[in-house]
Amino acid sequence: MATHALNPAASTYARGGLYEWLATTDHKKIGIMYVVNSMLFFLVGGVLALVVRTELATPGIQFLADERVYNEMFTMHATLMIFVFIIPMLAGLGNYAVPLQIGAPDMAFPRINALSFWMLPLAGILLISSFFTGGAAAAGWTSYPPLSGEGPLNSPGSGQDLWIVSLILIGTSSILGAINFLVTIFKMRAPGMTLFRMPIMVWTILVTSVLVLMATPVITSALVMLFIDRNLGGHFFDPFAGGSAVLYQNIFWFYSHPAVYVMVLPAMGVISEVLPVFSRKPLFGYRAFVFATAGIGALGFSVWAHHMFTTGAVFLPFFALLTFMIAIPTGVKMFNWVFTLFRGQLTFSTPLIFALGFLTMFLIGGINGAFSAAVPVDFALHDTYWVVAHLHYVLFGGSVFGVFAGIYYWFPKMTGRMLDEGLGKIQFVLMFVGFNLTFFPMHMLGLAGMPRRIADYAGDAGWNEWNIAATVGGFMIAASMLPFLWNVFISLRNGKVAGDDPWEGNTLEWATSSPPPPYNFDSLPEIRSERPLFDARHGQTAH
Amino acid sequence: MSSTPRKRPASDALVAGAVVAILVALVVAVFLTGAGNSLYPPAAATTQGRDIRGLYDIVFALAIGIFLLVEGLIVWSVIRYRRRPGDIELPAQTHGNNVAEIVWTVVPTAIVLFLFVISWQSLSRVDAISAKPDIRIHAIAGQFQWQFEYLDANGTKVATQLAPAYDTNTGAGGMAVPVGRSVQVTLDSPDVIHAFYVPRFLFKRDVVPGQTNRFEFTVEPSEAGQVFRGQCAELCGIGHRAMLLSVIALTPADYDAWLQGLIEKSNATPEPLPSGTVLNVTAEGVKFDTAALEVPAPPGITHDVDIRDGGGAVLAAKDTIDGGTSTNYSYEPMQAGTYTFFCSIHSNMTGTLTVK
Repeated sequence: MATHALNPAASTYARGGLYEWLATTDHKKIGIMYVVNSMLFFLVGGVLALVVRTELATPGIQFLADERVYNEMFTMHATLMIFVFIIPMLAGLGNYAVPLQIGAPDMAFPRINALSFWMLPLAGILLISSFFTGGAAAAGWTSYPPLSGEGPLNSPGSGQDLWIVSLILIGTSSILGAINFLVTIFKMRAPGMTLFRMPIMVWTILVTSVLVLMATPVITSALVMLFIDRNLGGHFFDPFAGGSAVLYQNIFWFYSHPAVYVMVLPAMGVISEVLPVFSRKPLFGYRAFVFATAGIGALGFSVWAHHMFTTGAVFLPFFALLTFMIAIPTGVKMFNWVFTLFRGQLTFSTPLIFALGFLTMFLIGGINGAFSAAVPVDFALHDTYWVVAHLHYVLFGGSVFGVFAGIYYWFPKMTGRMLDEGLGKIQFVLMFVGFNLTFFPMHMLGLAGMPRRIADYAGDAGWNEWNIAATVGGFMIAASMLPFLWNVFISLRNGKVAGDDPWEGNTLEWATSSPPPPYNFDSLPEIRSERPLFDARHGQTAH
Repeated sequence: MSSTPRKRPASDALVAGAVVAILVALVVAVFLTGAGNSLYPPAAATTQGRDIRGLYDIVFALAIGIFLLVEGLIVWSVIRYRRRPGDIELPAQTHGNNVAEIVWTVVPTAIVLFLFVISWQSLSRVDAISAKPDIRIHAIAGQFQWQFEYLDANGTKVATQLAPAYDTNTGAGGMAVPVGRSVQVTLDSPDVIHAFYVPRFLFKRDVVPGQTNRFEFTVEPSEAGQVFRGQCAELCGIGHRAMLLSVIALTPADYDAWLQGLIEKSNATPEPLPSGTVLNVTAEGVKFDTAALEVPAPPGITHDVDIRDGGGAVLAAKDTIDGGTSTNYSYEPMQAGTYTFFCSIHSNMTGTLTVK
């Protein structure tokens, strides 16, 4: 591999200001734009969630016009959060971190990188525009036909079509991004950066990219078939003309279950960077962790039908067994994280606090998932608020806490300024308490029989108290965003200057300036382990 | 491993241990005082539900144990191993331990295999279908209404219950079943996917168009006289939350009387909608005069008569009326062509309207 000695002249930009951001192919700027764009849609999706929680606070339909609007709210909430927030947010953190962490000057295909980013705001705007073109999609983020088909009681109007087109765009963006990551990781690693010296963040992005590449074309096919059924007289999913309604579910979940790992593996990567740095210890069981990541990725393709246990159309024991088996590599990771902390020297900076939040919440999200793997128990819990609790413990308690750990961890590198620690801790406390107040009671609601996706419930069903608790918690989560936004605002102006390596990091991004120059590095330290900067700081013998 | 970390004071371990002990004590207290009851499903009303509850209890006990173990380790580490001002030297740089990795691979494997085996055993009991069930019911879930057809041993319909939910004021409505008898339910949908869900059965099953699902249950004899609420659990459109049902558990003698009453009521009224009724109306002339469409329907089910053009666009959307009453709808003049009139509550109620 060629050396990375760079011409210093490369470190000045020819363009300035806004035009540079619009036209850039620099992976760092694109990564930051991914993060900012995703954060904007996180706020929009959050407002929709507040609308849902406000309507559900007490029995009766008081707040929204009717059920269709309610159905639009939760459909768009989930669609925005999954496809325009979590997946692109993690791809953005990866976009920023991966070339830096492997000592590369940029992604392998910088222009394709820019293309995959710019599809996302377009798709997000298309999705939101459907509110103004006669109503957004209202058949849930899963959009099962026949409900997502045409028909006055199903999904009339263009909202569902815009939803399909947006998702195809986002899928295309993901596929381009995945190819870009794979080529970058396989072909552009710095000398000495063998596969088993790559940071775990890079490993998780690698496995995620394989999942995206294999699964996303499959959901695209489902979306195209749905579009044909709706607009061109097709009958793929029309059971009254020889099609099959359950076929869609099989194709949809063949993508959407691996997509859960797309949404959580990079967040695991983030905290696998944060925990060792703030414990002053290496990650416990690096290789086991890599194999567990690959194992989750592989098993992720054989468990899709556990979303379909109650359809009466899947072979239950097979999917139950493989779903249970996912718990094994996940458990390996959990113990490796905990034993990274064990006998360390923990500094409770905000990134570590969010990472600890991840551990605790993801632990619950993993355990309450095992209930649904036991098929008969799933007969009771499926499509109730229990499932809503489970998926938020994984995707919010897990992924979103991981995202904030990553933002607090890399913000100094991205901007050259530290985020304020006090505001960060206020944000964490509000978010952690609000999160548990919102989502823990949903376990009780689900057990007590409250189905998901209902706009209203009877006042004597026994669900009132937990619903009020969840709504109060929801507003606490919203409040937790205020100190965060204020923190970003003031820290960009007056934040403490970070320096190259404020956290005593282990990986190569901390070997360059903050923010790094274009093409990243003037020189690289020797890479002889997965912690090249630790070696440079303490010497190889300390390793 | 070039350096030895500062010796930690024993008080750290005491504090950390105490916090973990408090955590465990809190969880135990929650369950001993009954405050943890909301983390259990409601008392199961069926034999199958009790089986599921037994499985839930085992999974739950393991879940609490694993949570306390891992969370205890996290809390212990966080309190015990915080960095002190004197911590200049690095802690021991432990890269891993193969024995530990094998232990926390093998033990969880054994646990999940155990869970898999017991849930498979439970599944084969819960999902069992008998060739000759005592009672057969055909449940039809359409947007947004359930109806229950009672079948005889040959599968022939003897009566239809059109009011799916129990009305506490009149005592009418609901799907009655005898306690202690096996009830087999077959599920069909004329439109989208629904799900039959009764929380106290700890059970649901999807109602998939184009595919007949079936399940069986036996209500425990001690539940005679109880009414169990249920509702559609799979999003089915704007009326999803109102798709309620009730299951009424009766003694076999009361059930026989109830069914006899339903049979008499079914015979007394014309064969009810909604199931694929087609009305053809032709209006002469450019103007479409008010047409009277008679829709015989039992009280409790609402309808309307809306119109859409050949392209599917809805031209007229009318207020709904309650079944058993009559109303006149007025429509704006329409151009010559073929239109569809339909009931927006029941997607399978449509007809053709030709304007010449």
